[in-house]
Amino acid sequence: MAESKAKIKSFSASLCLGGVLVLLLVIVLVGAAMLGAEQLPLFDLNEQQRSIFYDIRLPRILLGACVGASLAVAGAGLQSLLRNPLAEPYLLGVSNGAALGTMLAFVFFQSLEITRPVLAFAGAGLATLAVYRMAKSCAGMNVERLVLSGVIVTTFLSSVIVMLTTLLDAAKLRSFTFWLLGDLSQATRNGVYLSLAAVIIGTIVLTSQARALNLMMVGERDAFDFGVEVSRVRMLVFGASSLVVGAAVAASGSVGYVGLIVPHLVRLSVGSDNRLVVPFSAIAGAIFVVFADTIARTAIAPRELPVGAVTALIGAPMFIYLLRKN
Amino acid sequence: MLEVWDITIRYGERDVLRDVSLSLRDGSIIALLGANGAGKTTLIRALNGTLPLAGGEIELDGCQLSGLSRREIARNIAVVAQENETRFPVTVFEFVLSGRFLHGGAFGWESEGDFEFAEKALAECDLTGYATRLMNHLSGGERQRVVLARAIATNARILLLDEPTANLDLAHQAMMFKLVRRRCLESGASAIVITHDLNLAAEFADEIIMLKHGRIAAKGTPAEVLTAENVADVFGVRVLLDTNPASGNVRVTNVF
Amino acid sequence: MRKGLLIFIVLASISTFGGCRAKPTVADVADQSTPTNRPMRIVTDDLGRQVAVPVKIARVVSLAPNLTENIFAVGAGARLVGVTTFCNYPEQAKEIPKIGDTMTPNMESIIALKPDVVFVSTASQIEAFMKTLEANGIAVYVTNPTSLDGVMKNLKELGELMGTHEQANQLVADLTARINAVYQRVSGEKKIHVFVQISKEPLFTIGKQSFLTALLEQAGGESVTANVDSAYPKLSKETASALNPETLILSDSEDNKEPNEVFKNSSAVKNGHVILLNADQLSRPGPRLVNVLEYVARQLHMGKFEWKRGLDPSGNSAF
Repeated sequence: MAESKAKIKSFSASLCLGGVLVLLLVIVLVGAAMLGAEQLPLFDLNEQQRSIFYDIRLPRILLGACVGASLAVAGAGLQSLLRNPLAEPYLLGVSNGAALGTMLAFVFFQSLEITRPVLAFAGAGLATLAVYRMAKSCAGMNVERLVLSGVIVTTFLSSVIVMLTTLLDAAKLRSFTFWLLGDLSQATRNGVYLSLAAVIIGTIVLTSQARALNLMMVGERDAFDFGVEVSRVRMLVFGASSLVVGAAVAASGSVGYVGLIVPHLVRLSVGSDNRLVVPFSAIAGAIFVVFADTIARTAIAPRELPVGAVTALIGAPMFIYLLRKN
Repeated sequence: MLEVWDITIRYGERDVLRDVSLSLRDGSIIALLGANGAGKTTLIRALNGTLPLAGGEIELDGCQLSGLSRREIARNIAVVAQENETRFPVTVFEFVLSGRFLHGGAFGWESEGDFEFAEKALAECDLTGYATRLMNHLSGGERQRVVLARAIATNARILLLDEPTANLDLAHQAMMFKLVRRRCLESGASAIVITHDLNLAAEFADEIIMLKHGRIAAKGTPAEVLTAENVADVFGVRVLLDTNPASGNVRVTNVF
Repeated sequence: MRKGLLIFIVLASISTFGGCRAKPTVADVADQSTPTNRPMRIVTDDLGRQVAVPVKIARVVSLAPNLTENIFAVGAGARLVGVTTFCNYPEQAKEIPKIGDTMTPNMESIIALKPDVVFVSTASQIEAFMKTLEANGIAVYVTNPTSLDGVMKNLKELGELMGTHEQANQLVADLTARINAVYQRVSGEKKIHVFVQISKEPLFTIGKQSFLTALLEQAGGESVTANVDSAYPKLSKETASALNPETLILSDSEDNKEPNEVFKNSSAVKNGHVILLNADQLSRPGPRLVNVLEYVARQLHMGKFEWKRGLDPSGNSAF
């Protein structure tokens, strides 16, 4: 009895573990708040320093946390749903759909900022729908078809994005190139609120499907046999993923590797139970991106690196290491 | 109690199953035999509500299956199918425990009762000690037993098994059937088992149904159904039939 | 970075495909409108390459807007047979056939125009096609002025090449006089601290290696980001916020008309010291750069000297 208990975490043990992770996040947030291109004193900030901290640094850090959480939680959900450890928002076209949506919002509705997350979500949703439709056949959908469709959609959207950037004039092109690699420097208060709302809703929805995902993770047919309403779960997971990825990409472009690496690391630490993996991925994703962004904005200060470049530099070798380990 | 009246299943233009009827009483085991493509798996899938019927009716304890929700069906009918390869690190215990899906809410955590069911299921399937092992580190046969354990953990009264002995060694083949039999005897569960092993079917099944091209070719007790003509007709092989000296049941021997 | 790789692959395919042409045969080469008995000479371009050009250059193509302006400035505009889609100054440039944009010029169009020389601002632009062009008897001349001095040198060079030395030298003399005039007026004045915003979001500015940094100095200002490495760095908003420049310079392109949020409390914004410059002029090292110099000097030290209409070759002053 004790032996089997050892691997399954009881509710209270899981809460404890979650608590530790949250504590780690708080530490990272505080650490990030203390670092930046400008040295700020701990207390008694003058007006300008206060402005730097509250208007520039803090929104950026919080946005980074939201974006990291969003991408990681979407990755965790999609990997379980699609029974594919390589699934993540970029691979399935969700990120690119959101990016294209945001670009179109920028080109046609220049100043109306609210259009960006809206069109990003629409783009993400449409891309997901396209992938899903393409993958469906009368024999039902299997994972291979889904991943193949995802790759087709994402590369197609990539080409459209490249085409769009070629047609843009040099000025817009410059701003997009940086953004496409993931850029948190355009963080605003409203952007943070929106992202926070999206990631909270998304994480709750995805965690609510965690038990079903545990079954779907080992076989969609099995899940169906055991009472899971498979199409409903699919819709909720795709919907929630599109929501959080749309919000994240609209705010900061496409930060790569987070959705891929973070859920893997979480699974290595706590096992594959999605009730843990999904929410913990959110927290771990936040930690990862805040950490990467702190490097991005201090390594060559006062110049900045795109955060997506840093996550790739950290993420790619980590991914190779994980592959080896398996 | 599962009653099936003249069901027909269609894929496009083709009738995959036609006019199939059967009656599964509590505590009994039906063995489903037939050549590949005869429609055995399709029948199983129809019985758990996965496939829509083009004709006929299925009744579970008097209620029409089509009127029941996914949850209600899954509470009463558990399927043991061929297991897929798991690409994630899942332990045996987690796998079996996930069978308790319907017994908890969305955020529900498993109760003590759930843990007990899972453990008993592991014990029944001779898997004590396997709890913390990872699924993809097991052999095909071991994994098959875990899949059975998961179905048992659901505590469903009807078990549908699709070639559960496919990858098992001799010892565990018989064990699998004995297990199903014991479950049926002890808790009044019933089972339909697809198998290619005519002798195991003869040994453990109360009733045998032979399918040929989607229709029932023979139905009855093992003694009634297992005749040289039937076997030749359905499987196209010549066999000799006699009695198993140890158990007294029909024994089928291939003539090569 | 899969996106980066993908973009690279797509662009590389476009350029390689664009560069795949059948090798011209001996017959083709003999067909050239540049008969082999035309007197040629060897000149050295800005990259130190030895280039063979006709003594009398009749047809040229420009692959950079500033080079187009410079060619017109030295009086050789009539010989331009192909320019980029960005070349919009002077007015006559708009009539000239377009052969693509600076990054992806169309090789077929260029060859069809049968120019003697193609003027290019960076070798990388056209590396892949050098062989093809040279095989068609078209010389490639790389020149890239990146400062006021560089522009003067370039104008002289072009005058030399195109045979319009007199006009070119006169132009250089006039421009130099104007530059000196500005210098006279502003040297001795306190340097004004300026932030030059290249793009509002994300926030890009000028760094050490940008010609605008030097230009600002000559106009009596000082770029507050003068010691930041690279020509056009993306600047941390925190740093920008702490800079508090006296004057802001923006440009009139869509994404740069407004100062970035971080400057809302700077003395530049508070006192309304925001200068809006024409984006083209700001990015093209050519004779109009002197207009920029004069305008900026005047704005920075307002009231310190009277505006004198500059001798702009097309008779048209931007301001």
